[in-house]
Amino acid sequence: MDFQLSDDHRMLQDSLRGILTRHTGEALWPALVEAGVPAALLTEAEGGFDGSGAAVALIFEEMGRAGVALPLIPTMIAAAAFAQAGQPADEGASHAFADAEPGARYDRGVAISADGDCLTGRKTMVAGAEDAAAFLVTTADAMWRVEAGAAGLALRPYPMLDGQRGADLTLEGTPALRLGSLTDFAVPLARGVLAHSAYALGCITASVELTLDYLRTRKQFGQPLIAFQALAHRAADLAVEVEQARSAVVNLASHLDDEAPLRDRHLQACKVTVGRVARLVAEEAVQLHGGIGMTEEYALAGHVRRLLAADTAMGDADWHLDRFARGEPAWS
Amino acid sequence: MDMRFSPDELAFRDQVRAFLQDELDPGLARKVRLHQHLTKAEMEGWHEKLNARGWLAGNWPLEFGGAGWSAIQRHIFEEESARAHAPRVVPFGIAMLGPVLQKFGSPDQQDHWLPRILNGDDWWCQGYSEPGAGSDLAGLRCRAERQGDHYVVNGQKTWTTLGQHANMIFCLVRTSTEGKKQEGISFLLIDMTTPGVTVRPIVLLDGTAEVNEVFFDDVKVPVENLVGEENQGWTYAKYLLTHERTNIAGVGFATAALDNLRRIAGAQIHRGRPLAEDPLFASEIAAVEIELMAMSTTNLRMLSAAAQGQAPGIESSMLKIKGTQIRQRLDALTRRAYGGWAMALPVPGNEDPEDADEVLSATATWLNNRKLSIYGGSNEIQRGIIAGALAKG
Repeated sequence: MDFQLSDDHRMLQDSLRGILTRHTGEALWPALVEAGVPAALLTEAEGGFDGSGAAVALIFEEMGRAGVALPLIPTMIAAAAFAQAGQPADEGASHAFADAEPGARYDRGVAISADGDCLTGRKTMVAGAEDAAAFLVTTADAMWRVEAGAAGLALRPYPMLDGQRGADLTLEGTPALRLGSLTDFAVPLARGVLAHSAYALGCITASVELTLDYLRTRKQFGQPLIAFQALAHRAADLAVEVEQARSAVVNLASHLDDEAPLRDRHLQACKVTVGRVARLVAEEAVQLHGGIGMTEEYALAGHVRRLLAADTAMGDADWHLDRFARGEPAWS
Repeated sequence: MDMRFSPDELAFRDQVRAFLQDELDPGLARKVRLHQHLTKAEMEGWHEKLNARGWLAGNWPLEFGGAGWSAIQRHIFEEESARAHAPRVVPFGIAMLGPVLQKFGSPDQQDHWLPRILNGDDWWCQGYSEPGAGSDLAGLRCRAERQGDHYVVNGQKTWTTLGQHANMIFCLVRTSTEGKKQEGISFLLIDMTTPGVTVRPIVLLDGTAEVNEVFFDDVKVPVENLVGEENQGWTYAKYLLTHERTNIAGVGFATAALDNLRRIAGAQIHRGRPLAEDPLFASEIAAVEIELMAMSTTNLRMLSAAAQGQAPGIESSMLKIKGTQIRQRLDALTRRAYGGWAMALPVPGNEDPEDADEVLSATATWLNNRKLSIYGGSNEIQRGIIAGALAKG
């Protein structure tokens, strides 16, 4: 048993940390592509060079810690799905994953349907839609590829909760390529859930560190806040829950390549644990800070929004808990 | 990153499973599963079987007659034992006193007491808490005065688990009232058959008396029963507490309790269907199971870090809080699973409702396991320890 990073992964972590401190904004994506980060998220068969659970987890934890808002997760899911379906790789391109539907919570195929090789309907909260070379689109039970600029495809872009830009998609008889059934793509989807969870773990860690720094330095009634038992015990509980969230991410990362029932249980458990802890940390970090924790100029602000967003991505804690309790697979 | 056990560890696990299969009596396992209190003979019998296999003291090094297991091996043994509903090894001699004598005892004390622990010649109990010294243990007042080649002990200990079976007690006693309160404490081994020792049972919520009060009235203790140096007992006590907290997560106990809960929820009927199929109840079970899946890995991560030589910090406090929360949640769900049947009163006697020993055990376990978040440093004490470390950054 060994929970340490391998030498390769440690080097990857170091180089990623360097990039995330040196580059921001427009310059970040090319720097990540140049450093091979998107390729590290894919297996050799998918045109990358790693794609292991450990690599996905460490990359997105760093991204979450740094608070980077990039469509790297949908790009990874789509690239893996396209590769699996035998589509040629499109290096350096970003892709979008059109999954959520308006008014349907986490159900699929409510607002969209297929007719032969054409899709008609709506998708919402599609991260990175404006820059996407292609869209990975879900319907009730299938996965599709839609090219950017395809006939009948319209975008209505807007900013989203996690700092990314997203869009509503309207499809009217839009030509699409059916890649397979949803369950055929369980592995790319599981890697997506792992990425969202690890990203949330990074936000969780950063938020708790900010909160602890504040409790140590902010004085009231002549004492640092951490000296007050009511606050100290809540901080201790947060520290315990951070370990639970980390363990849940480790569990999914370690079972990514296992047979479906075991992988799905860890996937659901991971999403439930991380989603629950993310919401808890968002609430507690603000409360333990007090008023300053509600201000836009303080560093916590973006993390709080990203923590809420993370639970919502690809099915929230309630949705996955329900399926876990019923013994249902992760996707169907 | 690799979460799998090594081939050697898997082989060890198979040995443990085979041992439990061969040696554990099903009737005894059923009593353990139902959390029924075991007799002294039953506990001693299990110790004897383990000792014959060389497995009684997994935590002791080979030179003292222990099994010399790694932290991972101890974890495997504890998990497998709990899942098979084997009796737990009574911790007072093996897990608590043994390591203290090995670290701080004289060669004479080691030669005399350690084999007696393994052979079951002595039954040890722990004299730490007092009526006025619970969480604030260093405030203890039970006094030992040196008179020639004896100490004379006067005072009271409480919450002495299984003290009714014991012939020996290791005690923290006050030998000085000068300086800081931690600096006047000594670690003394007391023969409970000495005149002046009185043991009185404390009946708990579940109707049983597994804990006791122990009174000392001019009890003469030979000076050679002092462990280490006079007034250094607090150091030894803290060392002992770190050992008390191994297996603090109780993953095996929680897994066994979850299996039990699933079985019960599968048998009890709710709206004409098994309770396990009720979405509300099923999601409560699922939520605890998911917590347990994460904690199990938290436990392994911390064991693995310890095995690689990282100094233990606040990990045991974290595991104690989460582990006891999970077990108490499982106890609560198990009791609720019985519905109205759980009105049965768990008291010893022959007036039980028909077929009710399972449901009686559910309530008795709920009542008894309130102790989990209180003993070994209450969960609030653990939060204080964690926050103390967080405050330093």
